[in-house]
Amino acid sequence: MDPECSRLLPALCAVLVDPRQAVADDTCLEKLLDWFRTVTEAGSSLLLLQENPCLVDLLSHVLDLKPQDVSPRVLSFSLRLAGTFAAQEDCFEYLQQGKLLLGLFGEAGPLSWAVWSVPTVRSGWIQGLKSLVQHPSGLHFLGDSGAVDALFSLQGDSSLFVASAASQLLVHVLALSMQGKAKGSPSPKGNAWPACAQKIVAHVEASLCSAAVLQVTQALNVLTTTFGRCHSPWTEVLWGQLSPLVAHLLESDPIPAAHSLVDLLLSVARSPVFASADCALWETMARMLSCLSPTQAGPLALGTLKLQHCPQALRSQAFAVLLQPLVCILRATAQAPGPPGLLDETVEGDSMTVDTLLSSKSACVGLLCQTLAHLEELQPLPQCPLPWPQTLLMEAVVIILRLCDGSAAPSSSEGRRLCGALAGCVRVQRAALGFLGMLSQGTSSWELVPQVFAILLETLESPASSPTVLKKAFQATLHWLLDTPKPPGCLGLGPHAPLFLRELFPVLQKRLCSPCWEVRDSALEFLTHLSACWGGEADFREALLASEVPKLTWQLLRDPESYVRASAVTTMGQLSSQGLQAASNSPGHSEVQQGLVGELLHILSVDSEGFPRRAVARVFTEWLRNSHADVARDTEWFVATVLQMVSQDLDWEVRAQGLELVQVFLAQTLGQPNPPCPYAVALPKVTPPSPLPEVLQTLCQMQIFDFAFRALFDCDRPVAQKACDLLLFLRDKTAPCSGLQEPGNSSDVASVEATLERWQAGEQGQPLGSLEPEVVLAALRSMDLEGLQGRLAESSDHVEKSPQSLLQDMLATVAVLEENVADCY
Amino acid sequence: MPEIKVTPLGAGQDVGRSCILVSIAGKNVMLDCGMHMGFNDDRRFPDFSYITQNGRLTDFLDCVIISHFHLDHCGALPYFSEMVGYDGPIYMTHPTQAICPILLEDYRKIAVDKKGEANFFTSQMIKDCMKKVVAVHLHQTVQVDDELEIKAYYAGHVLGAAMFQIKVGSESVVYTGDYNMTPDRHLGAAWIDKCRPNLLITESTYATTIRDSKRCRERDFLKKVHETVERGGKVLIPVFALGRAQELCILLETFWERMNLKVPIYFSTGLTEKANHYYKLFITWTNQKIRKTFVQRNMFEFKHIKAFDRAFADNPGPMVVFATPGMLHAGQSLQIFRKWAGNEKNMVIMPGYCVQGTVGHKILSGQRKLEMEGRQVLEVKMQVEYMSFSAHADAKGIMQLVGQAEPESVLLVHGEAKKMEFLRQKIEQEFRVSCYMPANGETVTLPTNPSIPVGISLGLLKREMAQGLLPEAKKPRLLHGTLIMKDSNFRLVSSEQALKELGLAEHQLRFTCRVHLQDTRKEQEMALRVYSHLKSTLKDHCVQHLPDGSVTVESILIQAAAHSEDPGAKVLLVSWTYQDEELGSFLTALLKKGLPQTPS
Repeated sequence: MDPECSRLLPALCAVLVDPRQAVADDTCLEKLLDWFRTVTEAGSSLLLLQENPCLVDLLSHVLDLKPQDVSPRVLSFSLRLAGTFAAQEDCFEYLQQGKLLLGLFGEAGPLSWAVWSVPTVRSGWIQGLKSLVQHPSGLHFLGDSGAVDALFSLQGDSSLFVASAASQLLVHVLALSMQGKAKGSPSPKGNAWPACAQKIVAHVEASLCSAAVLQVTQALNVLTTTFGRCHSPWTEVLWGQLSPLVAHLLESDPIPAAHSLVDLLLSVARSPVFASADCALWETMARMLSCLSPTQAGPLALGTLKLQHCPQALRSQAFAVLLQPLVCILRATAQAPGPPGLLDETVEGDSMTVDTLLSSKSACVGLLCQTLAHLEELQPLPQCPLPWPQTLLMEAVVIILRLCDGSAAPSSSEGRRLCGALAGCVRVQRAALGFLGMLSQGTSSWELVPQVFAILLETLESPASSPTVLKKAFQATLHWLLDTPKPPGCLGLGPHAPLFLRELFPVLQKRLCSPCWEVRDSALEFLTHLSACWGGEADFREALLASEVPKLTWQLLRDPESYVRASAVTTMGQLSSQGLQAASNSPGHSEVQQGLVGELLHILSVDSEGFPRRAVARVFTEWLRNSHADVARDTEWFVATVLQMVSQDLDWEVRAQGLELVQVFLAQTLGQPNPPCPYAVALPKVTPPSPLPEVLQTLCQMQIFDFAFRALFDCDRPVAQKACDLLLFLRDKTAPCSGLQEPGNSSDVASVEATLERWQAGEQGQPLGSLEPEVVLAALRSMDLEGLQGRLAESSDHVEKSPQSLLQDMLATVAVLEENVADCY
Repeated sequence: MPEIKVTPLGAGQDVGRSCILVSIAGKNVMLDCGMHMGFNDDRRFPDFSYITQNGRLTDFLDCVIISHFHLDHCGALPYFSEMVGYDGPIYMTHPTQAICPILLEDYRKIAVDKKGEANFFTSQMIKDCMKKVVAVHLHQTVQVDDELEIKAYYAGHVLGAAMFQIKVGSESVVYTGDYNMTPDRHLGAAWIDKCRPNLLITESTYATTIRDSKRCRERDFLKKVHETVERGGKVLIPVFALGRAQELCILLETFWERMNLKVPIYFSTGLTEKANHYYKLFITWTNQKIRKTFVQRNMFEFKHIKAFDRAFADNPGPMVVFATPGMLHAGQSLQIFRKWAGNEKNMVIMPGYCVQGTVGHKILSGQRKLEMEGRQVLEVKMQVEYMSFSAHADAKGIMQLVGQAEPESVLLVHGEAKKMEFLRQKIEQEFRVSCYMPANGETVTLPTNPSIPVGISLGLLKREMAQGLLPEAKKPRLLHGTLIMKDSNFRLVSSEQALKELGLAEHQLRFTCRVHLQDTRKEQEMALRVYSHLKSTLKDHCVQHLPDGSVTVESILIQAAAHSEDPGAKVLLVSWTYQDEELGSFLTALLKKGLPQTPS
């Protein structure tokens, strides 16, 4: 421990046990504990206690306080602290000698005090014990102290946090006991587990037989976490002992704690210990799938399908459960009898699913949303069931969307009721569109694509579509346009896309004029993605340029909403890169282009919000990187103009983006940075187009050094960090510069260095002015840039986060606590 | 048993990140989704794992409601919606929707600037999160779905702050967020109608405080600023982007105007224009005075307050600068502080709370030698002042609001345990309602008596009216019928209709009773005496003596029989139908008294 911290610690411990003093900030004790954890992880706790006796005194004092003087926060802290120390066995013995641990965690300790009613104390007690139980002595202590019984009752605590922590500790004890057994060959006989583990197992057994659902749930949750976390061969012994009781739960109607039971079965099935196929487990899961309600069975079905190893029959059953709601929708809305095949297999649970779908609006919406989300999650996984009924699913999703927008008119009474339940339901629409987007992958049935495009277009067009639905619809459309593989032998965008695009752009036009900023923004984001991928496709270009979309996007550069302005900047940057911002044969093309640069520069200099300015800086960097025609015309002028504006910006992210621009420019003029790793493949060196002295002269004229030096002392760390990297790059690149003389006038160098020192001290002062390259290079070489880079990488708050600072703050706060009444906003 | 459940994940007996889960009539709502600024790791966000255990978050939660734009109420929102995965609706008022992303962005920039943190939300995430927001107007009833509705009320505190009523059927909960019951320079006082919710969840920051006059604090503040600039010093006021800063700006602007002062006042980071824009846009949310004078002069168009340029900090002479961030832990405010700290003529005024570890916290706790980067020590010679301007209701205000809303019970959040305890007792004594103060993670369960709507059949109603009894709203009256529960509906119909609808056959239910009488006469004679007695007693009823010797009164049948054990006694067997239960009971009681003596 730092000597300064050791010096401050006794005073702080004294403050903590002084009932007249209060620790101001509730985060301080948490941070203090974090620090002690770091210290004990790095070294001996025993040594720490011996060198700092005030810590043991603190624990003893807490036990000696009068009931009314005990602060729940300090007590909770002390319990956790004691546990942290006792995690090391020698330190545990040391504390035991003084009976401190028994005092803190035994039955006569806080467990029986009045402050026990405060959840923080109970939580601290459990967390302290959890830290302590890391070794056999800890396990024995837990068994002897009577704490296990307290933990059983704490599982049902009124505080979620306490109840959960109690369960976690029971799991921890079980796992630790099983790990200790791992060496011997597992056998259900001759059970020699620690007493407390045996007690926990007996309690779990009793709870599983209990008539109280809460107790069953607690037992199931403990087991779920145990099997999820511990993969010792002994878990198999434990499961062998408990599985009949678990299976017995299925006999009850309704099944108690079904949700927890599903979690347990999946946790066991996932455990590598049971990979050797446990028939009884699969049977239990199959029974469970068939008797749970559709809503409860969904997560089990999904979990089953995600398993790496699982019998095919169970997989089929699970998949049928997952598909059932969609099958029912198709049946209820189909004019003709339902399609053959998969549907026939699912008749078994049909009535239950139909009942759920028709029982109430919320049940119907809940089941459909869950099913669609589960299928969306399943589809991209390698475990995705085969054959995947793509056509059926697409039909089902399309009909669900039609039921939602009211365009479906089913004739059956069930269909009409579904229509009533789903009409205008945004939740289902969003879920269906999410899944529809995912379905674009792996589609091979081309005949359904026009149907999908039609429903997407209807949704995008419908005045009733909410902004969140439209966003999902745009995303799904993008998936269908970009991901759908083309039929074999098909060139360009495929057979459907060009037709669809012609209908899409008028809709997009309308959405770009939406009164909701969310919609305008989503439409712009959609356009940016689409043009980035399809900017070179003739059909796309034609459809886009024939529409008003580029013009409207331009107008959105002046949108009142800054998010939209920023997106419009990005979109225009993208369109311009592809030569798409106006009709290519228009005579005023170059004026439009010039106008765009001017417009973006205008935004960069005057926009009151950071997002659009940041977007402009990003677009300019991209343009420079891709040698955009307008940039290439006069790159130096362009970079210098942008830097001049960016350097004044109040948003540090804009300034950082300016440095990025410089970096690209320098890479183009001086070559790529040297690879940091000596083994990396070296890129072919770009030979600077001009000799180095000339390049440096140009950089000086462009005031790039002025910008970079100023940024080096920026009050915002990322800017300084980037500038430092940039200057290091410049220094490395110019190191072998043989064409340059030593600076003739050393007073120039001194003057530059003096200015830089003033900047470092935080003064703004005068700019560096016009400089000679030699002077700049000399100044550059004299700076300790590596040292600065190291300091900046440490982050600016390493001092504030130091333990010393924490201790000082806690001590200082005590004195003034009464003056400044706790305040918040 | 229907119930309302409330579990604070944050703000339960603390003033940290507000996040309260409410379960009402099967609907789950999250009230606020705040961040704790005192932590740099995941502890700054509420522990959402407790709700993700209940399956998919979007399926479990019906909506999230944000009361106002302060980060301890909305700071975890992008994390929750874009990183934890909530994809449902988020409700807030229009001004909150406009200002919230600015503050989130501001905080993100500081966090990334300072820490270079990786596990933090991005700008894109903030935008995507804001796209899920549904903005609401004051007093507008918004249907979240067919059953759940919410309504916003004015809360004062900051621009756009609202209290929310959450209602499902006849059950309702009101959540106040942070509120202020006294108007300030730019905002009005909180107000709610007498909505009599089942539960009022109220903040209790100043649970035990009766706040000193605001005027005093303002005078004090102006005096300190004035004295400093008069002696040529510079005043630094670290603030967060929007909120309290505007209140202080109006205060200084008015004072400068009145005193005709020429010392420059600057506001950094271009926020004045932004603030100005929002206050103009949401002028209806400000107080009456500002609204009234708006036509002649917009209070937020400041004459004396100008945009700050970084170079100004080095200018000689006095000035006042508002700079962000408010805790002096990064960026511009810290940079200016470092420049000015060494001069005792200067002053820094901290108008808000600072978390441990920040320079703000250190100087407020009296530390005057600060270690900065690179082992540099900064000696603070400038004066340090703390001046709270936060706009919360004090104890009196909280009691006033409870009185206004007339809730069935109250739950306290956003306060310190000790202070809450005091207020809890006060509320229970004064209003005779239960008051709860759960800690974080503790669940309070309140049983409710929901009124269940029952449809009544026209036939049954007509039959009642035919008896001349018209239904009256103020006079509840007993009505007999059969309750049918079908298709999640309740209907009251006549028993005949119920039988018809359900396809059931009618069953007769008869009650029987034995009455023992000491009488030696024969059974026939006994029956005749019963007949005469009833005939004379029940003048309005049809009493008959049947040929088999039994007596009937309406559906009631009376037969006399010999006692099996006692030859001196007789047994009267009385039986009646369910419909005549009243008469049957009356007759039994009458016969038990015995028959009148016959004249011998």
